[in-house]
Amino acid sequence: MRVLVIEDDAVLRESLVSQLEAAGFATEQAADGREGLYFALEYPVDLAIIDLGLPEVSGLDIIRQVREQDKGYPILILTARDRWQDKVDGLSAGADDYVVKPFHFEEISARVNALLRRSGGWASSVLTAGPVRLDMGRQEVKVEDKTVDLTSFEYKIMEYLMVRAGQVISKSELTDRLYDQDFERDSNVIEVFIGRLRKKLDPDNSLKPIETLRGRGYRFALERAGSH
Amino acid sequence: MIRSLSARLLVSVSLLLIIFFGATIAVLDYAFRSAGEEAQEDILDGYLMQLLAAAEPDASGGLAMPPGLPEARFDTIGSGLYAELRDSSGNRVWQSRSALGLTLPMHDAPEPGIPVFDREVLDDGTPLLALRLAVQWEFPDGELRPYVFEVLESLDSFNAQVAEYRRQLFTWFAALATVLLITIAILLRRMMRPLRQIETEIGEVEHGDRTALSTEFPTELTGVARNMNLLIESERARSDRYRKTLDNLAHSLKTPLAAIRALFGDAPIDPSQRARFDEQIDRMDEIVRYQLRKPSASASENLVLKSVDVHAEIDKLIDGLSKVYRDKSPSISVTIDDALSFRGDSGDFLELAGNLVDNACKWCNGQVRIQLGPVSPERRGGLRLRVEDDGPGIPEEATAALMQRGTRLDESTPGHGIGLSIVKDIAESYGGRLEIGRSELGGARFELEIPSMTG
Repeated sequence: MRVLVIEDDAVLRESLVSQLEAAGFATEQAADGREGLYFALEYPVDLAIIDLGLPEVSGLDIIRQVREQDKGYPILILTARDRWQDKVDGLSAGADDYVVKPFHFEEISARVNALLRRSGGWASSVLTAGPVRLDMGRQEVKVEDKTVDLTSFEYKIMEYLMVRAGQVISKSELTDRLYDQDFERDSNVIEVFIGRLRKKLDPDNSLKPIETLRGRGYRFALERAGSH
Repeated sequence: MIRSLSARLLVSVSLLLIIFFGATIAVLDYAFRSAGEEAQEDILDGYLMQLLAAAEPDASGGLAMPPGLPEARFDTIGSGLYAELRDSSGNRVWQSRSALGLTLPMHDAPEPGIPVFDREVLDDGTPLLALRLAVQWEFPDGELRPYVFEVLESLDSFNAQVAEYRRQLFTWFAALATVLLITIAILLRRMMRPLRQIETEIGEVEHGDRTALSTEFPTELTGVARNMNLLIESERARSDRYRKTLDNLAHSLKTPLAAIRALFGDAPIDPSQRARFDEQIDRMDEIVRYQLRKPSASASENLVLKSVDVHAEIDKLIDGLSKVYRDKSPSISVTIDDALSFRGDSGDFLELAGNLVDNACKWCNGQVRIQLGPVSPERRGGLRLRVEDDGPGIPEEATAALMQRGTRLDESTPGHGIGLSIVKDIAESYGGRLEIGRSELGGARFELEIPSMTG
């Protein structure tokens, strides 16, 4: 999942980015409103964290323009102005949730996970499809109540596919959203990881949780349970 | 000093009218009287001529008056016209029949040949105008003997005429003055209308029904209206600037706080140490939140008050909160009675409603009820906001602590944060109050009452 962080305070931004990366997100960062707006409109983004008090272009304007361009990814606003007026303005401009400064990183990661899950149409942070359960809080996958041992990159692919269960996801989207920019991009790597994932989730090849649609991409194919 | 401009003008005009009309009445009265007196004297002169013409020497060698004078009033008793003829020694030679029974006053003989007018008063008080003439009568024997002819006429009817004239004069001038004053009063009312309008409009600005004074005033008042608008504008700008300054201050204090917290998050620190740091950061955060929030509108900021569209603000709030609490998806019921009114700052309203509704959403098990209406169900105006939930509610001792005046920040109810202190503060700055109780839904019930601001 690629998270865009637009925050003008360097210490805060960098700390947020490093903690998000440690939590397994790919990130993009912008230090002012103009740059942030460009990234928000032009880059592949799954979620944006936007500070409301930005130089150049205000956070509210960024949110409005993102929504005007029909970009539907979730937006989490950071606000130091702890007034309901600002929160309500941000939410009605198109943001989905807010966090008031100063925050604990745990709050941010909880909100981010919840927003991402919701954007995939899941109501709970434990995604269940058939015998597969993915717990976003613990970053843990179980098949028929047995924990599957995944590397962090395998988990990221798994989470991305499962949050969007039922949707076709192209290889390039996967590389875009899962690698950081400077990572070597090679679509064969994705194929290798998908292959490993299949083996770990479905050793006897009876479940077939991940479909390959030739020329289009992959799809998590198991029926969702407990979703909307 | 009279305070009212209209009253001042009316009093001045009345004084002026009294002086002006008084002088006019005096002049007219004087002219009428002197013309009247002159006419009266001419008439007396005529009678005197008649007497002179009628007098004849008699057989005894004296002067006598024949009976049957041309003027019948000389012969009518009490007619008001009297005549007398006296000789050189002052003895009455003849008296007209009309003077029968009356004692006409006696005088020394005047200078011969010069008619003398005089005023007399009869015993019964009747004022008279007298004309005396001393003559040297030449008898047929060539002898000259002095005589005094006197004609007197009562001034009663003349005085009555003058009185009547005066009465009429006063009546008409009084009527005229009244009409004038009424006209001026009406004109004044019309002239003062823009002043009253400006007063009304300022009142409306104070009540938030209007954001600026209209510009359609007479030239003399446009300056006042323009300056007033500038004042309102600068007051608003000042209030905005103040809020922005506080916002920026809050922003520039909280971002470093967030950065500090983030840095601690990264740093390898003992968890118990971390908790102590966290506590300090929380305290600073709460102080900033509480002290640097926008000061809510108060009576001194009357000019920036506006009528708040409660419907729109509540809708925005519920929309926003539905996003935030999407996982919980509480069912939020809102009823609004349109008889309510809230005059103030829409930010303050959002702050009040936001904190209460957010609290309810946070603690509820799935049900939140919001009711908005006027303070009293019978009368329009004011705002009563009731927010209820079906959560665990607030323990009684916590309620008491919260409601206690001057509860310190760090003592406010745990779990309910400082949101409620802010709500209480804002409510009180609007002259309202906050009540906490138990809802029939099972959870907490917050009831906010803000009276309508008048004046």
